[in-house]
Amino acid sequence: MVEADVADLVESSVMMVVSTRDDSARAHIARGSGATFLRERSHIDLLLSQTQWPDVARHAVPGAPIAATFVRPSDYRAVQIKGRIHEVAQGDATDQERATRYLAKMLAVMNGLGVSTLQLSHTLTDRDILRIRFAPTELFTQTPGPGAGARIDTP
Amino acid sequence: MNVRLGDIRDSFEGVIPSIIATTDRDGMPNISYLSHVYYVDEEHVALSNQFFSKTAANVRLHGLATLMVVDGKTGVQHVLDLRFVEAREEGDLFARVSSHLAVTSSQHGMAGIMKLRTIDIYRVEACREVVTPAPLAEPPPPANRRDRLQAAAQLAGRIAALVDVEAMLDGVMDGLVERFGFQHAMLLVPHEDARTLTTIASRGYARFGVGAETTIGEGTIGMAAASRHPVRISDMRRGQRYARAVRAAVEGASDGEIPLPQLAEPQSQLAVPMLSRGRLTGVLFVESGESFAFGHQDEDALVLVANQLAASLSLAEAERIEPRSAPPQRPGAVRPSGTGKFRFRYYPLDGGVFVEDDYLIRGVPGRLLHYFVRAFVETGRQDFSNREMRRDASLGLPEFKDNLETRLILLGRRLQEKGGPIRLSRPDRGQIRVEFDGMPQIEIVTAPA
Repeated sequence: MVEADVADLVESSVMMVVSTRDDSARAHIARGSGATFLRERSHIDLLLSQTQWPDVARHAVPGAPIAATFVRPSDYRAVQIKGRIHEVAQGDATDQERATRYLAKMLAVMNGLGVSTLQLSHTLTDRDILRIRFAPTELFTQTPGPGAGARIDTP
Repeated sequence: MNVRLGDIRDSFEGVIPSIIATTDRDGMPNISYLSHVYYVDEEHVALSNQFFSKTAANVRLHGLATLMVVDGKTGVQHVLDLRFVEAREEGDLFARVSSHLAVTSSQHGMAGIMKLRTIDIYRVEACREVVTPAPLAEPPPPANRRDRLQAAAQLAGRIAALVDVEAMLDGVMDGLVERFGFQHAMLLVPHEDARTLTTIASRGYARFGVGAETTIGEGTIGMAAASRHPVRISDMRRGQRYARAVRAAVEGASDGEIPLPQLAEPQSQLAVPMLSRGRLTGVLFVESGESFAFGHQDEDALVLVANQLAASLSLAEAERIEPRSAPPQRPGAVRPSGTGKFRFRYYPLDGGVFVEDDYLIRGVPGRLLHYFVRAFVETGRQDFSNREMRRDASLGLPEFKDNLETRLILLGRRLQEKGGPIRLSRPDRGQIRVEFDGMPQIEIVTAPA
């Protein structure tokens, strides 16, 4: 998978889950509220709600490792991207707008697949957005099946 | 705040996939989806380990995993801090998980791919709700579920009070509709070949489908029979993308000449094996066009009902019901009503019977019917007793004597649904009367049907 594929994937209609870990090696879980690939720097900006996911937000610090799995809900094609956090910031107006657009887009996609708004009522949010910028170092295919977990390539 | 695991069991069904996160040797997190979480007890859950190898390796290293589950109805999320206890490759829980996985993976068109390797048992150190800043929808009002324990106790009590096998079968079917509010129910009994189950009673379908067969080991009903554990499916839709696979699985479930009387597009199914002294005596099955129609309490309640029914049926069969009086002997040659003839084709190899060119039934009910028809053609007899059936070595089959009454009921109902030209009635306990519209012309076919 080359850089363009990563960019296309993270910015397409995908659900995303994110993990950072604490010093005791316990991993924490969050859902992402949208992502952008910064082509000029090969970084990913990942958005999440810091009040909904305080554990992941707390351990998202520059230099810390991070993993994010992006899944296309129409066919469960999934890719996990791992890397190091470069920068963490409160979401600005642009991030907020992206999170709101992402929420509306994914709600429409998931509704179209038969998943109700009620079922997603706690999954999608655009409140209290935190922006985590990280540099991808490893890619793994994560589509359910015997091939899940296989390394794809290093970007 | 710690949440009771028993209160979030609906979240373990994987309707919305669960998420698991771990950390590797270098401190890098790993996060992936997983299909099912199994409730073990208030302090433990089990995860099926098919192929998330990185997760498994990380768990073996640190003994830690973090899990997030989602309630498929309300969307509420919970995070569970897990500590690994042990991996199991066998046992009751392994069998339960394995059969559930086999059913769900076949419905998703992945039969045989998601074979279970081990189940991993974890202790739950903490379980907390994920607080959402602004939920997108209001939670639905709590469902007004009927008291399942009371309903099960009443229905089991009603069955226990009955003597007649047919009344037991009808009592259970009516009870599931009236006391539980289930709209579509079916009762199947195992065929003597131990490979199939045959429908003997149903409610809520366009036709009864008596005599319809399904294969043991396939589909929700077949898996419950094979594993001897309840199989419950809460949401067969999982998005439109699964609809075709589900339909294929449903259509593939019936391999006999008579289609199973099932819903075209079920969303929820629950199949419970009927066990008596360790022996499978049948499967009780309910389904619904609605998602989440059956919960854990329904499953537990149906287990009570199914096992009471199994015990009562076994006892009734063992009682060897004898006629209170000798069958009436009718003097002179008896003639069928009507003057016509009909072809009665019989396959001794599997007991298969065709009337004219239409399949009727096979197995023990078919052998019984051939016995009646031959006696009628040869001697004009129309009245028979359970006692002579049991004594006749030509009908003798393993375990046959244990379920004669059920087979007679199956035969009688199939004949009734067929609507002629043969009718079977029960003038008294232990007695059978067979009536004919026209004279049967018996053809014996030694090749397989």
